[in-house]
Amino acid sequence: MINTIINYIADNLINEPLDDDLEPEDDLLGSGIVDSMGMMRLIAFIENEYDLKVAPDEMVIENFMTVENIVEYITTKNKQQ
Amino acid sequence: MNFSFSKKQVDFKNQVIAFAQDNLNSNVIAEDYKSLFSKKKWKKCADFGIQSLASYKNEQLDVLTATLAMEGLGYGCKDNGLPFALNAQMWTVQLPIIHFGNEEQKDLFLTPLVKGNQIACHALTEPEAGSDVFSMKTTAQKTEGGYILNGTKQYITLGPEADVALVFAVTNPKLGKWGLSAFLVEKGTKGFTQSSSKQKMGMRTVPFGDLVFNECFVSEKNRLGKEGAGWAIVNHSLELDRCFVFASQLGAMERQLEESINYVKKREQFGKSIGSFQSVSNRIAEMKLRLETSRLLLYKVAWLKNEGKSALLESSLLKLHLSESFVSSSIDAIRNHGGYGYVSENEVERDLRDAVGGIIYAGTSDIQKNIISKILGL
Repeated sequence: MINTIINYIADNLINEPLDDDLEPEDDLLGSGIVDSMGMMRLIAFIENEYDLKVAPDEMVIENFMTVENIVEYITTKNKQQ
Repeated sequence: MNFSFSKKQVDFKNQVIAFAQDNLNSNVIAEDYKSLFSKKKWKKCADFGIQSLASYKNEQLDVLTATLAMEGLGYGCKDNGLPFALNAQMWTVQLPIIHFGNEEQKDLFLTPLVKGNQIACHALTEPEAGSDVFSMKTTAQKTEGGYILNGTKQYITLGPEADVALVFAVTNPKLGKWGLSAFLVEKGTKGFTQSSSKQKMGMRTVPFGDLVFNECFVSEKNRLGKEGAGWAIVNHSLELDRCFVFASQLGAMERQLEESINYVKKREQFGKSIGSFQSVSNRIAEMKLRLETSRLLLYKVAWLKNEGKSALLESSLLKLHLSESFVSSSIDAIRNHGGYGYVSENEVERDLRDAVGGIIYAGTSDIQKNIISKILGL
């Protein structure tokens, strides 16, 4: 799951080329690796890829700051479904 | 994708059209000329149930019904400003309160908005944060029991008249876009001032001005959502807002086309109706094409949102195409009417002045093209 998400971000959403490879613990939105629209596209990708619905109040730093956070969020969400 | 609407949906749209034609079309020329906002018409809309389309008692928003209703409002109401202002409150203030507010906030803030007893504005844009809106400078510093707000919000729709403002501010600059929070600030709060309404090219019946926060204390109870939820609050209603605002403009385009057709059929020059001249009839055909292509984009966005799906690309295509189409068709409408269309009292030229704002607010046409091309991988 980590690689799928990292690959999607690297192939589609990164604003400027990164000096190093994207890491699971990198801050995506806060550090500007992806912009606001990119984050919305990432959320749409996650909804489609993992068949879940991200509620508006779940679009918070705890769930979407890093790829690690996203994977944890998806795992928890899938357990609840 | 299915664009066949139910009888109930179509009936409701027709009821909205009849309501608007019967109640909202008096005094429009004078209100536009003097830039007057009508609280009386605002209240009439609430009594009819327009603001209730975004009500917490109706949490499962029926996007298709609401789209048709707002289209009907734009068709029936000759003042393009009133539907625009209603959309601004309903989808960028009421809807966020429904999704992010606690029960106390819903009771305190939503009820008077839905009943039309209060007016609310969405305060995001700043002097140095327009298209780059998340680079905002307004701050909300944590203090005992609440926050101290400092900063200026600029060009805020309904700002001068608002009883409550949904204000976005930086609570933690170290977190970038995750460090933004939203606050419901009530009129009369110490340190909160609202400018008078600014004169503008079109949409003149809509109050529009600046909000200034100077050491303004806002209670923690007035924070909407968690600290840091500002980014989510801005983004979650963006696609829906575009859908409904431009539904009303689609209605206006349909009204405009019908008026043009009626005029060119009746107006005679050189012994025949001007509609029989190919240069005029071709313009009518182009207006119809713009209307129907805009309608398809609108209904696609409405359908996607009703299905709970993302419409990032589609809402940008809609916003770009419909807003530019309304400007082009408004110029064509003036050409069709000739000198008659240029004179304000005949209510043709007003559409052009109103349409121009659409290519600027909620993301300029340039920004929409950037979004579209970026999604396409460029």
